[in-house]
Amino acid sequence: MRVIAITGKGGTGKTAVAAMLIRSLVNRDMTILAIDADPDTNLPEALGDGVEETVGDQREFLLEERDNLPPDTDKQRLLESKIYSVLAERQGYDLLVMGRPEGAGCYCFANNMLRGIMDRVVNNYDLTIIDTGAGLEHLSRGIIRDVDELVVVTDGSRRGLQTAERIRDLVKELDLEIRKMHVVLNKVTPQNRERLNEYAQELGLEVAGIVPFDEEIAQFDLDGRPLIELPDSSPAAVEVENIIMKLGI
Amino acid sequence: MADEFPFEISPMFEGERVRKDDMYVELAGPKSKGFELVNAVGIDEIEDGKFTLIGADISEMEEGGRYPLAMIYRIAGELVETDLEAIVERRNHDFQNYIQGMMHLNQRYDVWIRINKDAIAKGLKSFEQIAKATMMLFKNELTFIEKIEATYITDMEKVDEELAKAMDKYAARDERTRNLHDEDVDTFYGCSLCQSFAPTSVCVITPDRIALCGAINWFDGRAAAKVDPEGPQFAVEKGECLDETGGEYTGINEVAQKLSGGEYNRIKIHSFFEFPHTSCGCFEVVGFFVPEVDGIGWVDRDYAGNAPNGLAFSSMAGQTGGGKQVMGFLGVGINYFRSPKFIQADGGWDRVVWMPKHLKDKILEDIPSDIVDKVATEEDAQDITALKTFLTDKGHPIVERWSSEEEEPAEDEPITESDAFSMPQVGIPAFDPAMLKNLTPMTGGCGGVKVTLKNAKVTIDKVILSNQK
Repeated sequence: MRVIAITGKGGTGKTAVAAMLIRSLVNRDMTILAIDADPDTNLPEALGDGVEETVGDQREFLLEERDNLPPDTDKQRLLESKIYSVLAERQGYDLLVMGRPEGAGCYCFANNMLRGIMDRVVNNYDLTIIDTGAGLEHLSRGIIRDVDELVVVTDGSRRGLQTAERIRDLVKELDLEIRKMHVVLNKVTPQNRERLNEYAQELGLEVAGIVPFDEEIAQFDLDGRPLIELPDSSPAAVEVENIIMKLGI
Repeated sequence: MADEFPFEISPMFEGERVRKDDMYVELAGPKSKGFELVNAVGIDEIEDGKFTLIGADISEMEEGGRYPLAMIYRIAGELVETDLEAIVERRNHDFQNYIQGMMHLNQRYDVWIRINKDAIAKGLKSFEQIAKATMMLFKNELTFIEKIEATYITDMEKVDEELAKAMDKYAARDERTRNLHDEDVDTFYGCSLCQSFAPTSVCVITPDRIALCGAINWFDGRAAAKVDPEGPQFAVEKGECLDETGGEYTGINEVAQKLSGGEYNRIKIHSFFEFPHTSCGCFEVVGFFVPEVDGIGWVDRDYAGNAPNGLAFSSMAGQTGGGKQVMGFLGVGINYFRSPKFIQADGGWDRVVWMPKHLKDKILEDIPSDIVDKVATEEDAQDITALKTFLTDKGHPIVERWSSEEEEPAEDEPITESDAFSMPQVGIPAFDPAMLKNLTPMTGGCGGVKVTLKNAKVTIDKVILSNQK
C-alpha cells in the first residue's frame, strides 16, 4: 500500500505524467487505483476512459436525499456502496473520480464518513496514484489521508517551479505527513534543460525525472487520443520508466 | 468450530474489496436484485440451523456471472421481538464481511455481494456454507437468538415475489422508527465535529431533534457512536428529565458543561428563548425573534433576500454562529420543522410567523393544517408592517397574544374570529416578550452584546436607565 499524489501548476502536464505512470504500471503484478482529485477532471480522458459519475455526485446525492431515506439508514454503508458503484474497474487498474467540489451547506458529516470510506478503499490497492490540483484540496481536507509521496510536475517555466516551491511550503503548513517530495520537469527542451535543472537545485527540490518535450504527445493531445496508447518508443514514455525506477515502484 | 468452513472468519477481513478481476460471482447489487431480511417468529415455528436454497447454488453459477440473491433469516428466542429485527438484520453485513473472500455492501434491498475466486479455489461451493457461518456468528454474537434458520433465493421470479413482501415489512418498520420520540430512548447523541471552529458548541441529537447541520439524525448518531465511541459522535445518557416541554435533561446539561468548557450548563433542546441549543454555524435555517409581532421567523441558507427584520441569512448567521446560546436567534436543521416537539416550549408552530416560500414549500405537508396558511412568506410580507397586517388578516394565533399580553390592544380586532383556531396552550409556560424586546433590539441589524461575569462581585449605588433616541 503506497500512495503517490501528483500535483503541479495547471497546464504543466501533471495529468499526462499521471496517465503515463499508470500506462507503464498496469501490466505489472500489482493492484493500482487511480484517483482523479482535480475538479477539472482530465485523467479519465487521458486514460481513454469515460467516467459518468463521481464521488462528489454521490456525496451530493446523500445530502439531497438524507431526509427522504428511511430514518435508520446506515448512511456510511450507503455512501460506501455508492462510491464502489462509481469506481470504474478497468483492465489492470481501477479509477475513481472525485469530481465536483463542495457546494454551500455543511459537509462535515458527509466528509467525515467519506474519510473512513476512502481509507478503506485505498487500503485495498498496492499502489494509489492521485492526480490532484495545486491546492491539494482533498489532501488538505483529509478526504484522502496517508499520502506518502508527492510528485510535483512542472514545465519549462519559472512559474511552474515557483508553484512547486509553494506546494512544498503548503505541505509544511498543512502538516501533511508526506514522506518525500519529488519534482518532475516536463516538456523540457535541450535549450532549457540545464537552466531548469539548476533552478530546481537552487530551490532545493529533488528532481526525479526530466521528461523531454515529445512531439508525439502534442499530436495525441491534438487528435484527442488517450495517452495510455502511447508507444513504448516515445521518448517521454522511456523517461517515465526511469522515473518509476527512481521512485522505486 | 470454524474448521468446518473452507474459509477463515475474522473481523480483519472487513473492508476487503473484491475487484472485478478477482471476482468469481456477483450477487444482487446495483445491476441485479436482492435483499436481506430478518423476521422474528415464534420459537416453535422454526428449526434451528436449517438452511433452504431456492434457485441455483454457487457451484452451478458461471464464473464472472451476476445473479440475484435474497437472504431471509428467521429468528426466535424468549427475548426476540419485532423491534429487534432491524438491529439484527444490520449485522448480516458485518458477519458476511468477516468471511474471507466475501464482500457485502449496503443494506436491505440495496445489498451488493461479491465472492472472490480465491474463496472458490479454497472450497467454497455452496450458499449453505455461507449461511451456516453467518448463522453461527448471529448466535455467537447475539446471544438472545436461540434459534435461527435461513432461506437464500437466487431465482429471479421468487426473489421478486419475496421482495414485494419484504417491502411491506420495511415500510412498517420505517413507520415505527418515524414514531420514535425523545421519551422512548435512554440515550441521546452528541457531535463535536463543529468544535473545530465553534469551541463552545454543544450539539445534541435526539429522536425529535436532528443536528442543526441537518446531516445527523438520532440513528446516524447511534450508528457512528457504535462504530467509534471515541469519535466525533458519541452517546449522551439522557439522565433525568427536568423540563418535559422545554426538553431539559440532566444528561444533556452535564455534557453541555463539559463540551462548552464550562460556558453553558443548561440547554433546553425544544426551547427558543430559554437556554436554547447552541448554534454552531452549520445550521440550515436560522430562527429570529420578531419582537414587534412576538413571533418567530425562519430563514434558510438558500434565501438570498432580507427577512422582514431587514436582515439576510448571512448576517443573522454571523451573529448566531460560533457555538453560543444567542438570545433571540436559533439555528436548526430543516428536519426539525417536522418534529412534533418543534420549539414546543414557546408555542411550537403557533409562534411561527414567517419563512421563505421555497422553505415553506419543502415542509408544507408537515406544517399543521390550521396554521399553514397563516405563516407569511416573502410573497406576503417583506417588512414588519406588512407582516403585522398579514398576520392580522389571516387571524394568526399570535395575534391573540398581542391582546392578552400587552397593555394596549392591537390596532385591528382579530379577536372576534380567533375562537375558531385557538390552540390549546397546555404546558406552554408564559413568556414575557417585553423582556426580550429590551434585550435584543433587532431593527437595523445591531448585534447583541453578551456580558458574562464569573465569580464577580458587583456593587452599584445608582442605576439610571433612559430611552435612547
